Amino acid sequence: MVTFKLNGKEVQGEDGQYIIQVAEKYGVEIPTLCHHKALEPAGMCRICTVELFDGRRTKFVTACNYPIWEGMQINTNTPAVHQGRKLIVEMLYARCPEVPLLKKLAKEYKIKEPRFPKQDDDCILCGLCVRMCERMGNSAISLTGRGTDMKIDTPFGLQSDVCMACGACASVCPTGHITLEKIKNEFTKQHPFMIPSEYEMGLKGRKPVYVPYAQAVPNTPAIDREVCMHFKSGGCGVCSDICQMDAIDYTMEDEIIEIDAGAVVLSPGFTPFDPSKFDNYGYANHPNVMTAMEFERILSASGPTSGHLTRMSDHKEPKKIAWFQCVGSRDMNKCDNKYCSSVCCMYALKEAVIAKEHAGDDLDCAIFYMDMRTHGKDFERYYNRAQDQGIRFLRSRVHTVDPLHDSDDLQVTYVTESGEKVDEIFDMIVLSIGLEISPEIVDMAKKLGIELTDGNFAKTSTFKPVETNKKGIFVAGAFQGPKDIPQSVVDSNAAAGEAGAMLASARNTQTKLPEVIPETNIIGDRPRIGVFVCKCGTNIASVVNVPNVRDYAATLPYVEYCSDNLYSCSQDTQESMSQIIKANNLNRIVVAACTPKTHEPLFQETLVNAGLNKYLFEMTNIRNHASWVHKDTPELATQKAKDLVRMAVSKVALMEPLEEAELQVNPVAMVIGGGISGITAAKTLAQQGYHVHVVEKDQRLGGQANNLFHTYKDEDIAKELGSLVQEVENNEKIHIHLNTTLEAVEGFVGNFKSELLCNKEPSSLEHGIAVIATGAKAYIPNEYEYGKDDRIMTTLDLDKRFIDRDPSLKALNAAVFIQCVGSREPDRPYCSRVCCTHSIDNALALKKINPEMEIFILYRDIRTYGEREYKYQAAREAGIIFVRYALENKPDIQLKEGKVLVTVTDHVLGQPLEIEADLLTLATAIVPNKDERLANFFKVPLNEDGFFVERHAKLGPSEFATDGVFLCGLAHYPKPIDEAIAHGQAAASRAVTLLAKETIHTSGNVANIDPMVCSSCGVCVSICPYAAPSFATQGRFEGTAEINPVLCKGCGLCVASCRSGAIHLKGFDTNQIFAQIFAMNEAV
Amino acid sequence: MNTCINKIRELSFELLDKGEVEKVIGFANGTIPMATSPIAITSTKDIETLVFNSTCGLNLANYIRQHKGKIAVIAKGCDTRNIVTHIVENQVQRDQLYIIGVPCNGMIDKTKIASLFEDDIIEFSEDGNALTVKSALKEETLNKTDYLRQNCRLCLHKNPVIYDALAADLVEEQTLESPYPDVKKIEAMTPDTKWQHFQDLTKNCIRCYACRNACPLCYCPTCFVDESGPQWVGKGQNTTDVNTFHFLRAFHCAGRCTDCGACVEACPMDINVRDFTRKLNKDVFDLFGWEAGLDITKRPPLDAYSPDDPDDFIK
Amino acid sequence: MVENNTKIVAFLCNWCSYGAADLAGVSRMQYPADIRVIRIPCTGRLSPKFILSALREGADAVWVSG
Repeated sequence: MVTFKLNGKEVQGEDGQYIIQVAEKYGVEIPTLCHHKALEPAGMCRICTVELFDGRRTKFVTACNYPIWEGMQINTNTPAVHQGRKLIVEMLYARCPEVPLLKKLAKEYKIKEPRFPKQDDDCILCGLCVRMCERMGNSAISLTGRGTDMKIDTPFGLQSDVCMACGACASVCPTGHITLEKIKNEFTKQHPFMIPSEYEMGLKGRKPVYVPYAQAVPNTPAIDREVCMHFKSGGCGVCSDICQMDAIDYTMEDEIIEIDAGAVVLSPGFTPFDPSKFDNYGYANHPNVMTAMEFERILSASGPTSGHLTRMSDHKEPKKIAWFQCVGSRDMNKCDNKYCSSVCCMYALKEAVIAKEHAGDDLDCAIFYMDMRTHGKDFERYYNRAQDQGIRFLRSRVHTVDPLHDSDDLQVTYVTESGEKVDEIFDMIVLSIGLEISPEIVDMAKKLGIELTDGNFAKTSTFKPVETNKKGIFVAGAFQGPKDIPQSVVDSNAAAGEAGAMLASARNTQTKLPEVIPETNIIGDRPRIGVFVCKCGTNIASVVNVPNVRDYAATLPYVEYCSDNLYSCSQDTQESMSQIIKANNLNRIVVAACTPKTHEPLFQETLVNAGLNKYLFEMTNIRNHASWVHKDTPELATQKAKDLVRMAVSKVALMEPLEEAELQVNPVAMVIGGGISGITAAKTLAQQGYHVHVVEKDQRLGGQANNLFHTYKDEDIAKELGSLVQEVENNEKIHIHLNTTLEAVEGFVGNFKSELLCNKEPSSLEHGIAVIATGAKAYIPNEYEYGKDDRIMTTLDLDKRFIDRDPSLKALNAAVFIQCVGSREPDRPYCSRVCCTHSIDNALALKKINPEMEIFILYRDIRTYGEREYKYQAAREAGIIFVRYALENKPDIQLKEGKVLVTVTDHVLGQPLEIEADLLTLATAIVPNKDERLANFFKVPLNEDGFFVERHAKLGPSEFATDGVFLCGLAHYPKPIDEAIAHGQAAASRAVTLLAKETIHTSGNVANIDPMVCSSCGVCVSICPYAAPSFATQGRFEGTAEINPVLCKGCGLCVASCRSGAIHLKGFDTNQIFAQIFAMNEAV
Repeated sequence: MNTCINKIRELSFELLDKGEVEKVIGFANGTIPMATSPIAITSTKDIETLVFNSTCGLNLANYIRQHKGKIAVIAKGCDTRNIVTHIVENQVQRDQLYIIGVPCNGMIDKTKIASLFEDDIIEFSEDGNALTVKSALKEETLNKTDYLRQNCRLCLHKNPVIYDALAADLVEEQTLESPYPDVKKIEAMTPDTKWQHFQDLTKNCIRCYACRNACPLCYCPTCFVDESGPQWVGKGQNTTDVNTFHFLRAFHCAGRCTDCGACVEACPMDINVRDFTRKLNKDVFDLFGWEAGLDITKRPPLDAYSPDDPDDFIK
Repeated sequence: MVENNTKIVAFLCNWCSYGAADLAGVSRMQYPADIRVIRIPCTGRLSPKFILSALREGADAVWVSG
């Protein structure tokens, strides 16, 4: 250790260090242009000149390459030093008067005009690039020439392969002399290119060392070996030098890890279709033709344009954008993807709506489509709203995009519905690309022996929607078929559930329990607060003055211990924190670091390891909320960090140890509804080892599936349903209650008690969870003369005749199907999802019986999503005629002279078409039961249409916000059998996550009522969305409200609503928040 | 009003005599002229102390809480609406009450009448619409309709909304084109004028809390102004604290206030605190179509969540 | 202490706006250092008294987001 004086203060450094390194450690700033941490110093720019007193005389040395020695005295900021630096700056400025950095320095040193003749160079010959290039292992450039001719160049000024175009020289050049252009034109023979950021869809570059995207988990950088110079030349290694944690190990190799698994779930996902092969759209050549995935990045606030809607070629704000649907989907002409990708209509709609939100209402958005397929929950409403917002929908498939010669705009030629040819110019084209399975995945499937469909998706059956042909291998997500997020989440839950069912006997055999550390009782103790301020490497410390914040924290009331850490979250810091807490008897902890949303649990665990209750903790975010967002104002950021620490300290002093109530879960499930979804859920639950009670109001199981003929995959529903029902009936863990209704429910997650009524016989049932699978019913039409003629029937009526093998079907000459009967109407603005496929399937079945039969399907949009599209193709090939009608021009039915006459305006001819139908099938809507009573029993919501509202439209499709209540089947939204079964499995799987826990720990952050202050007004009881408060029915405080901590989610709604101030929210109590507010403005 | 008091006494006598109620809550003459005060009588012999006239401006719903047995209460239109609110808010059970409803023609503005005189009023009497007021210096005969309290002039529910017996025939309800002229006037002010208006409004407040005490809605065991842990609001005369008290009291009344005027009646400094509550009444009406205390089965809109709640303010 | 800097008290919902403020950091969006964040479990937790008392304590503005 070497001790010397820096600006009069005694400082210490390691032997062999240079002055600048020690100064940096002590926060003393010394300017430099040519110094780089990772390189040996060269003392080229001379700006780092400081004054050295060696005991006898003073002299000037360059701080970057002058080694420290015992007893030396350094001054960095004397007038003489300043004068010296000023002269250097003046000379450099004269050499390079246009370089922004030197302009800035000149201004700092108050130089208006240099006294030397101005030149027009932009290189200060600092040689940083040369040293960096050497470090890269290449030495492709050096300082060549002598005297005034000296410059940076390659040997003999020749471009060569020695320069690997890594760009390191450009990245360190302080003046901007070396640019990528210069490298390309003067240094290298190779092709310099931007490393495309995968996350930004290549619209932006990234470094060889990178975090894939801001929210990546784990949020650890990775090295891209393909482009990293260390792996190419063996040089560089800068990252390893700089990393203070020594985390970088270049010798790491790919490992093959063997996992002994009982089941495998395949969820490899899809690959967006690559439209560059479509030369007619010009995607590969024209920057303003982009894919929808790229456009997503343009719309994103964290994207390459920060969410500002501009086009790529000239950064102009577009006025007109067109979307082309079905690019790489429903196409056998230019590609092999004949399936529908299911999600593109909806994402194009969303992009158009958001684009309008970003750019304002005058943005013209046009969507070119074949059929608008908005068959998901609440999607049709979104479509209607988009139409109301003025988004144009053009039913046309555009053939070619023609770039205009005199601008970056694009001309599109298309044919309107009325047959007119139109030329229109757009600023941007977005291609709604489809989903496909990549060759690597197909390869993997082959290796695993997984059967694939025509579209290369994993083949599954309707009744086993997540099982592949290989036992024990399950599939989830887009690999099973193109699908959106909720359906993928359903699948993944279902696959996990089915895999879990297979492995149920092995549950808890590989569990390891952590050591329990006894909790110190701190009640009544004076607060002893420990404050840990994190540097987060340089993430915080480079802006916020961490030692300053630490020292400030030490002055705050009750603070007994303060320290700063390089990385508070590292394993060793965690251990030392735990030791510090014990050694100093700390009983409240503040960590000023990053966000509690990701790191609070980690530090709470540290508290627990130190024997403290985990709620005696407060975290404040001085990284995301200070250093990262105020990097140009370090003083203000430091000030803010101090304020935040003070606020946290004043809050934590008021924190109390909180208890997490433990609650036993009754391992019994109740499934309401014995339809196909409900009994599937029951079966999965029973397979997982739980007793299940199925409550069915009807006299038999099976629900609506009893009325259905066969699936679109030609499976016999009656047969499959029969064996499922039999399996369920024979399972001793499944208890079936037929002819039974649910009369009342009380209790909460883990401990429900329901009253059942069977043939006027009441009984009660205790259960830990409930699955709502109450299904839906068929719409009974009052339009199209239904009920007035036997030849007019609903889809289910027709199925019945198929089931009964009705011989009269063979004798029909003409059959007509009308789609959207009761669906997509103003009264029922949703799509019933199943009817298009069902009608087409039935039409094909009729054709099979009598190939001569004339069949017409009158439709609005055909929505045969995913591989159902093949059926649509088959139907057209079989000669079934599809006639489109509009909502405002519905088909007309006349019963005349014993005939059923259907008149519809043909969309191609524009002429009315009259069909004499022997069979008219109405594809009727699926109508929810709108069971408000049931909704009220479990405090779960219904949507406007009467379907139940799940916890989260995308991420929680099989459960409710109310804990312990799950959802599946048609009660959620219309769906075909395969999806209903997957949904049943998913709901069961979600339920098992709760049942398997055996006990539930509630959060400590719950509300609590002081009965002495409660006025019994009942606002809390009325307002709580989770039914946590109720009136005490016994005891001293009978009549006042009390809160069930098990149901409480800690939102604090009741606390704010309580006029009497009787409710406290533990962890966010009023006095704690007040303490933060009061601490906010304290003078520092 | 004379026939009405006879009927009140008659009903009260019968109820007490038969032991159907433990007490009758009504009005008695005050200790000064042109004033009445609430009274609870438990015996038939006190029947004659009950009075009812145009000075019964307090709200008797304030006194019906926390009784064990059954009680009778004299209630004007607004009082009955507060009784409904009490029932909804669990403060009293319907079967605990015998409500003697009084269709009401409005209460008089005592401050306005007093301002006609330079000295103290020594006598007050009324006969139908004619008020006779005497001081040592002069006697005035006034037309009652000219001296109604503002809330009574704008009253849309003069008749009891809930009752077991009526003390008089129902009166005709008025319909108003603009039920909130006063609020609209304030709403139309510029922010600066509005700020000044409220500064002036509360500048004389002495924080005696008479408004709170007179208000049937203010029944919390500990009012937030009295709480010291946490201390919601400072206790002194600091303008922010004074305003905080008034703002928050108004917020606590949002969707529950029946505009009975008891707060203003009780205020010794003549502060029209209804400027706060009426704005919220208007907002609740505009947003939720809600008037407090009309339906025994519904909670005030701010106590409940409905998917149809207006949310236009969320962008 | 820097003179005349404004102070804005921000009550941010843990589940949305607080996360958004985190994300603003991750995205290195630069904004003035006037905001002091108080994390709350839900904007439903926010009592009007918090707003008034923040103003009383000298806040120039109060921002509630959730």
